[in-house]
Amino acid sequence: MRRIPIAPRDDWQQKVSSAGLVFHTPEDQEMDRPYWDESACYEFTAPEIDTLEAAGTTLQQMCLEAAEHIIDKKRYAELEIPAAAVPAIEWAWENEPPAIYGRFDIAFDGSGPPKLLEYNADTPTSLLEAAVIQWSWLEEQFPNCDQFNSIHERVIGKWQDIAQYLSKPVYFAGLDNPEDQLTLAYLCDTAQQAGLPTRSILMGDIGWNDERQAFVDLEEQQMFSIFKLYPWEMIVAEEFGPAALDTYTAMRWIEPIWKMLLSNKGLLPVLWELFPNHELLLESHFEGSAPKPRDYVRKPLHSREGANVTIVRNGATIASTDGSYQGPAVLQAQAPIAGFPDNLKPGASRYPVLGLWMVDQQCCGLGIRESSGLITDNLSSFVPHYFV
Amino acid sequence: MRRSVKVTAPLLASVALSMATGCRKPEMQRCVDENNRVADDKMCANLPAANAQLNPGGPGYIPYHPLYHYYYGGWGGYALGSVVGGGSYTPSAGRSYATRSGITTRGGFGRSMSAGHGAGE
Repeated sequence: MRRIPIAPRDDWQQKVSSAGLVFHTPEDQEMDRPYWDESACYEFTAPEIDTLEAAGTTLQQMCLEAAEHIIDKKRYAELEIPAAAVPAIEWAWENEPPAIYGRFDIAFDGSGPPKLLEYNADTPTSLLEAAVIQWSWLEEQFPNCDQFNSIHERVIGKWQDIAQYLSKPVYFAGLDNPEDQLTLAYLCDTAQQAGLPTRSILMGDIGWNDERQAFVDLEEQQMFSIFKLYPWEMIVAEEFGPAALDTYTAMRWIEPIWKMLLSNKGLLPVLWELFPNHELLLESHFEGSAPKPRDYVRKPLHSREGANVTIVRNGATIASTDGSYQGPAVLQAQAPIAGFPDNLKPGASRYPVLGLWMVDQQCCGLGIRESSGLITDNLSSFVPHYFV
Repeated sequence: MRRSVKVTAPLLASVALSMATGCRKPEMQRCVDENNRVADDKMCANLPAANAQLNPGGPGYIPYHPLYHYYYGGWGGYALGSVVGGGSYTPSAGRSYATRSGITTRGGFGRSMSAGHGAGE
């Protein structure tokens, strides 16, 4: 695995915009480079890609076993999952309603085994970048090389597989935010390519009709199939949460509610309990359940995009991020630091996190985000890759 | 073995832009009393049209002016008892309206994140 500085394509902004990535260069003054950063790329060997692909497949199986364990042992309270959500979670686990995708975040620098940082199993974004934008980049920049990327065709194939289980149209719901709307637009596009009729709606525009006991769109049409880019822990806590739980079995929410078990940081200590010292895992414990180590990374159960993360070394905080996520947390061992020289800032380093995309049970692609610090947050850049 | 096949870039920027601009919302259709205060939709259900006559043609017919009407568009909300204004008692052609009928309420999802922030990660 190497980080290689290269010259960006002359008109790369126009090229990525025309493919849909309209926020390639956010106006955020805190970023010192574009979000889509093709001034560098990562090169892998085929054996390294084999290692990553196998890691994703193995981790998926381990996570399913962890979900089964949480349900069997009813460890919901440890994960701060409200009791009211449990019947729907258990129904969904038993009945396997449709699910599409997830993304493992992995620490890896080409030496040693990949290490699981967390699993974004409910609301992963950066999908278009991984599936389409970096593929177009590869075709121009390294046409004789390959890329770990069959995300696009697998997502379409998954929609085709589950089409018979969905009422139509399939609604795509999210917040009015460019990043979320882009992921939604892309997934909506893949569903259409799979032959599914679709509609789009903002989460705040979803209506609840108490008399009909139905969620309705803006034309008062009942909604049965909803892909929501909105986390379940928020859905169940909001005003319509009880209605969503009461009607869960009559609906098809994608991702299904049992994904709450995997997108929760509490998954990490559960995995460590079930698979102690597994080479793909970092030692993790619920805070307060074990003596505090000298070195650790503290992550609140429900934190998102690197918020409220603290890195402690020799008992002292060396890095931390702000945020609004309070409450219980897990303590995870820090992964071996994977730093690569920054081509734009001599002497500085870039720290990649590898996103392994899962569609169904298949690990089918890689997207890399990197940052200037040890905590990958919403200011990180997406950097393309290839392998030889 | 190649792990990828040719991908045709499927997404047009116009798609993302059209989604970002959102949909045009229907205007409010509320049942109001004679003081233009919002009432339950049940009060407007199955009412004869305004100015209909009870006992038409018979002796001593009574012009009928219902206490409750549907009110189309304007300002205010759906809250019972709140005052409406700025709209009319007749719908405008080409516009869509959303009623409290069946008590459809909106805004019950999406408020956990502060404005402008995404919910994906």
